[in-house]
This record gives sequence, structure tokens and C-alpha cells, in this order.
Amino acid sequence: MKQVWAIATTTLGEAIRRRVLLVILLVGVAFIAIAPGLGVLSARSETTVLRSMLLSIIQLTSAVIAVVLTVYMIPNEIERRTIYTILSKPVHRWQFLLGKYFGAVLALMVMMAMMTGVLCLAFFVQQGYRADGLTQLLRAPIMFFVQMCLLAAVGVFFSTFVTPLVNFFLSGAVYLVGTTFSSFFESMLNNPSSSNIAKIIGRLVNTLLPNFAYYNVQNPLINPTVVIQDETQNYIKIVAYGVLYIGVLLVAGILVFDRREV
Amino acid sequence: MAAAIETQNLTKTYKNRSGKVNVVDQLNLSVEEGEIFGFLGPNGAGKTTTIKMLLGIIYPSAGQAQVLGKEAGDIGIHRSISYLPEKPYYYEHMTGMEILKFYGALFGLSDTAMYQRLLERVNLAGDQHKTISQYSKGMQQRIGLAQSLLNDPKLLFLDEPTGGLDPIAHIEIRDLILQFREEGKTVFISSHALSDVERICDRVAIINKGKIAAQGKLDDLLRGGRIEIIADNLTSEFAQGLKLNGATTSFNAGRLIVDIDEAEDFNGLIDGIRNAKGKVVSVLPRRRRLEDLFVETVRNLQSQGASK
Repeated sequence: MKQVWAIATTTLGEAIRRRVLLVILLVGVAFIAIAPGLGVLSARSETTVLRSMLLSIIQLTSAVIAVVLTVYMIPNEIERRTIYTILSKPVHRWQFLLGKYFGAVLALMVMMAMMTGVLCLAFFVQQGYRADGLTQLLRAPIMFFVQMCLLAAVGVFFSTFVTPLVNFFLSGAVYLVGTTFSSFFESMLNNPSSSNIAKIIGRLVNTLLPNFAYYNVQNPLINPTVVIQDETQNYIKIVAYGVLYIGVLLVAGILVFDRREV
Repeated sequence: MAAAIETQNLTKTYKNRSGKVNVVDQLNLSVEEGEIFGFLGPNGAGKTTTIKMLLGIIYPSAGQAQVLGKEAGDIGIHRSISYLPEKPYYYEHMTGMEILKFYGALFGLSDTAMYQRLLERVNLAGDQHKTISQYSKGMQQRIGLAQSLLNDPKLLFLDEPTGGLDPIAHIEIRDLILQFREEGKTVFISSHALSDVERICDRVAIINKGKIAAQGKLDDLLRGGRIEIIADNLTSEFAQGLKLNGATTSFNAGRLIVDIDEAEDFNGLIDGIRNAKGKVVSVLPRRRRLEDLFVETVRNLQSQGASK
């Protein structure tokens, strides 16, 4: 475990110094900070639209960070030859891959915590301190964090066998399909009038690709009056789904990476 | 003496557009414990590929390799070996001390006093809090050597350890490698710095296009097979009367210099000089330079390849 932790903390140290990630983070933080100042909306719509907008900024920024962070993860280590000095030590390849993944998760945690901090600050400035409001507000970023851990696992998995550019588009496409088009593929599968081919495609996409849309939990925050049944159970279920999927992706990544020529 | 490295028909095949290419082709190597072994060859000869196979970073297509008595790639032997790659990169945001802490953690170590001693040994104690981005090339190579000594290895793989260094850094690294031998460590060096290899290596192997072209003790390989005899107080008639096969002679002001094949009867020549009242000044076996051997070996193989 010491090896995994050492690689993870080093990966974190490197990630938080990468200029491209810092620029993306700063842009996200800047948008979150200035969005409440755009007072062009009515009082009611201001609150709902603003919440939705701020949470979307966090989600989008985090997704870009997760993809950019992970696509270079393994190829960079090979190109710079750091992998050789690490793998010539008593380090198994699975330990290396897990270390890189957990480093990415730690980096995402730090960066998302910064954005969430600014988000909370923006709300306090606008609405004053409310403890119940804070716990309600934090649900979405926490679920986004699980979503980003899943996206990072997708990126790390692809980085074991494709180039960074291909990985960027692959991971981006998986995320886009998993967030935006998941309901479309679900309806393809469940609609009785769908053709057999459409049903096969729908089943394939639903089975193979992670459903990132599960983690889009903004609605109860945007409309606090809406009561959702078994909300906590639902959160536990989708976290378990994420952990399971991450586990499958990492095992697949380890199997590919174990025989890869580096 | 036991073998630290042994390979039997070790082969690595890659596919390219024109078909399969053996980057390493049935390589048979034997490196004894406690020696400094030079692994030489032109660019693309298969040196780094061989080292990667011995480290278990890539897998052989055929053949076998044992390192310290175990199958190459066995994670257990990674506790007793170390590797310094060519043009290594270390995480630039880390300081020298942090680099040692990181690599030490990979061995499960956390001995700051030992890290301190290693930094002193490679002359970086005063620069331990500088980040790697502030280190010169020589300093980066020295921190690389320090990280390769963390586990007090029995066997070190050094890939171009003096490549691109200034003369002072060059000498410092060379002296450190010589110290390793005194400590009983086995050192496997891949290098283009032939003068260094000639000075420090006990045995060498020259590889070209994946095949071993020459292998053996440096003294045996560099023995020129010729002897230079210098004698004074001789006459020009004596010099002109010499009948020696394949020898070159020069005579000036009573001094005769003969360069003769050691298979020839050079004892007869010495007797002749003495009988002519000459004075034998020196009898020296001529040694080739490693550079000559290297160029000759590689060119011979290239011309053989071209004639096929």
C-alpha cells in the first residue's frame, strides 16, 4: 500500500502544478465567482437559474479537468521514462496504475473542493449562512465528485492503450453519451416500437457505458420544494454503482497494462 | 564466480510495416558478480531493449534471462537491483531530498539519515532543498545515481550514465562507478563513452543489430597481437638486413623500432640485436584502443550484411 500511496501523492503534487489544469480551474472559479453578479434575472428565476448555472459550471469544469488530467497519465510517464525507474523498483504494475488513479482522484478532490468553496461563498454572500442550506447545497458537488471519479477511471483505462488525443475524444464521448444521451438509449431499449437493432444498440450502450446521468442531482437543489422519496437510498445506490464501475474499469486497465510493452 | 546476469538465446521481435524485426536476436550474455560489464553498440543496436528485458519492463519474444539467479522480471529481485535510464526525468517540482523519499517509499523505506548520507555521497547535500528544475544536467544524473543506490543494490544497470555531461561531472560519475566495484557491486553499463568503458570495465560485449559481435575480457579483446621492440646502438646494415614477415621497421641515428606480429620469432630478433652489440631499450606488447575494436567490429558486420 505504501507504493500506491507514494505514487498517488506524487501524482497529486504534479497535477496541482500543471498549468493547463490550473487555467481550467481558474476559469471555472472565476465563472462561479462572477455569476451571482449578473443580476439580470427576476428574484425567483435568479435563485433557480443561478443554482443550476453554478452547479453546471462546477460539473463542466470538473469533467474537463478529469479528462485532461487522466489522458496524459500513463503516456507521459512512458515518454519521460519515469515509469522505468519506478517499475525497476519492487512495484507491481497494478500498484503503479492504482497509484496514478488515486492521485488523479486526490487532485480532483482538491480542485473540486476549491470550486465548491467558492460556490458556498457565493451563496453566503447572496443569502446569508444557513446550515440546512449548506448540506443541501453540498449534495450535488459530492455526487459530481463520484461522477468525476468514474470519468477518471474511464480516462485511466483508455490511457493504458490509446494515445492522449484519441483518449481525449473517447473519454469525452463516453461522458457525453453517459450524461446527455443515456435517456435516449434507454428509451431505444424500452420502447416497444423500437426495431431489434435499435434495442440491441440501446442494450449495448446501457450495459457497456457508465450512466453518468445518475449523478445529475441538481433538480432537488434547484427546486427545494420538491420531495424525493428514498433520496438517501438513491444516493447510496448510485455511489455503489460508481464504485463497482470504477472497480471494473481499473481491473480491465490493469489487465491491459500488465502485458503492455512500455 | 557466479553469474549476475545470464541470457540464453534472448530474442525480442517487433512487427513493423516490412514484417518482423528481431531487435534483439538470440543474445547469449554472461555477466559475473562483482565486475563492471560494458554493453556497447551503435544506436539502435538493441542495448536498451536488452536492459528493459532484463529488468522485466518488456517481455522477451523467445529465449530466457536470469538476473541474480532468478527469472528476469521477478519482482523479488527488484529489491537487489537498480536502474538509471538514459536521459532520466525526475518530477521537477520535487527537491532532491523529496526524490529520494519518493523512491525510498517504493522500497518501503523512510530513513532520512540514509537519504542524507546518499546525498552527501553524490555531492548534493548542499542542494538537497533545490527543486529538480533548478538542477543542472550533472546534478540530475547524480540524484539519479543516488536513487539507484537507495536499496544498496547488488546489481546496477546504468544506461549512458555519463551522456551529455561536462568533463568534471563525467569524472565524478566515473569515480562513483569505480567505487561500486570496490563495494562488490556488479555494474552493467550501456555506453557510447568508449574511453570511459575502456578505463573502468572488466569485460565488454559489442552488440550490433541485436546480435553479439564480440564479447570477452577487455584485455583479451584489446590485445593487439603485435609487439614493439626498440633498440639502440645498431648499424643501418643490421636494420637493412632484417627479414621479418609483416613487420614495420624504422631506423634513425642508431635506433631501430620494429613493430612485429607476436606470432613471429621476436625472441630471435632480440637475440640478433644482442649479437650485433645493440641495446634493447624496450619490448612492449601493443594494445588496441576500444574505439578501434568497436569501429572494426561494427564495420565488419555492416560489410558482411551488405555483401549478403
